[in-house]
Amino acid sequence: MPNRVVVTGCGAVTPLGLTVDETWKNMINGVSGIDYISMFDTDNFQVKLAAEVKNFDPNSYMEPMTARYSDRFTQFAIAAGKQAVGDAQLSIDGSNTYDIGVIVGTGIGGIESLSSQMDVLARRGPSRVSPYTIPMMIPDNCTGRLSIELGIRGVNMSLISACASGTDAIGMAYQMIRHGELKMAIAGGTDASITPISVAGFQQAGALSRSNEPGNACRPFDARRNGFIMGEGAAVIVVESLESALERGAPIIAEIVGYGATSDAFHITKPMETSEAAAKAIELALAGLNRDEIGYISAHGTSTPLNDVSETRVIKKALGEQAYDIPVSSVKSMVGHMLGAAGGLGAIVCCKVISEGILPPTINYEYPDPECDLDYVPNIARKKGVAIAVSNAFGFGGHNSVLAIRKYNGK
Amino acid sequence: MNVHEAIKNAICKIAPGIDESKIVPKADLTKDLAIDSLARVELAMALEDSCNLTLSDEELGEVVTVGDIIALLESNLGGSNA
Repeated sequence: MPNRVVVTGCGAVTPLGLTVDETWKNMINGVSGIDYISMFDTDNFQVKLAAEVKNFDPNSYMEPMTARYSDRFTQFAIAAGKQAVGDAQLSIDGSNTYDIGVIVGTGIGGIESLSSQMDVLARRGPSRVSPYTIPMMIPDNCTGRLSIELGIRGVNMSLISACASGTDAIGMAYQMIRHGELKMAIAGGTDASITPISVAGFQQAGALSRSNEPGNACRPFDARRNGFIMGEGAAVIVVESLESALERGAPIIAEIVGYGATSDAFHITKPMETSEAAAKAIELALAGLNRDEIGYISAHGTSTPLNDVSETRVIKKALGEQAYDIPVSSVKSMVGHMLGAAGGLGAIVCCKVISEGILPPTINYEYPDPECDLDYVPNIARKKGVAIAVSNAFGFGGHNSVLAIRKYNGK
Repeated sequence: MNVHEAIKNAICKIAPGIDESKIVPKADLTKDLAIDSLARVELAMALEDSCNLTLSDEELGEVVTVGDIIALLESNLGGSNA
């Protein structure tokens, strides 16, 4: 019989705060973390806004030398990972080090490090390129560093599926623990790519909002939505077999009860017109569960014209008439699109919804789109007891990844 | 800026958090200051930036101690900038 799998700790660094508690408090108050880009000069850019992580000091979480030779996406992962381990009251030592894995997804990896070393290459030649270039830019640097920081010797890998990376990393951890290959994993997502090259790339793909109004630029499911807002940060959880959690008396936040992942095999950036594959991912995540218990969906909800109408269709295709009774909200309206970290945050949002009984709102929802006709929890958080929450994540390349998370009721 | 100060600043830049009192002429870069072979290229860049000169890979390869860097910089600068 497969192991049951629970969440015992959460950690996050987001545009709404440097911890889960601060982020959650701002989310349920409908605070926006979006503002003008401060990390580089946007004079030549059509895109002016992003959701940056503010006041992050990596030295609070790691030695200055580690911070200096780690890209920002790795620094975020270390901070969120250490918070999650603390929250889970987990001690890592020789007795359990091989039972624990580190699986953290990223969509982009160390692009700031790559960009700055490309400048060095162009200006001063190959002999002055930093020997740390490769370790700092490779996407798995976040897990390599995190495993060193935490002393973890089980599986160590990053997982890459664009904006579904965080969800797939947790899904992978869930599967490995379920099948007894690991007892625990530090899993989630991280990204830090508010850099000229990535903003330019997303801008040229037509994916980003060109709005000049930080307060209401990101408006998922609203008729006037016009593109996503780049976010950044990390969201990491401790995933653990129920047996292990009970044995060590760990705080159990919620249970992971399903994971579904499919591929559109359709177009490299557009969602599949029939919505079939993404709906299938939701169905896979819900297999064997009582669908009447579903009380909330944390939407991918990017605020692009295409995603939000497609996701609405996907939810209706998977759940039929029941879709109209289930509240769906997008925290991206507040934190922007944290890319690889988005799925990690989606899982944490589901855990908080279940443990706190409050749904975070979709802010900036003003003008209904007839094609987006579900209950998006507009503008104001709502009290609601939820037994099962679903987290959607989709990504360039046709990735559709879904987690189902249930209240743990002690049996 | 004198050569000693330039070296100290460069080392602090590439190895933040280092105990500055350990940066003395006889200190071995690898053994005493934990500046490994990877960090040496960073150090060369920092020195080139602060002293406005170019160091060759051969010259850098022979450096073992902080004193060796002082000698290297002084010979490159010809004493004019000290």
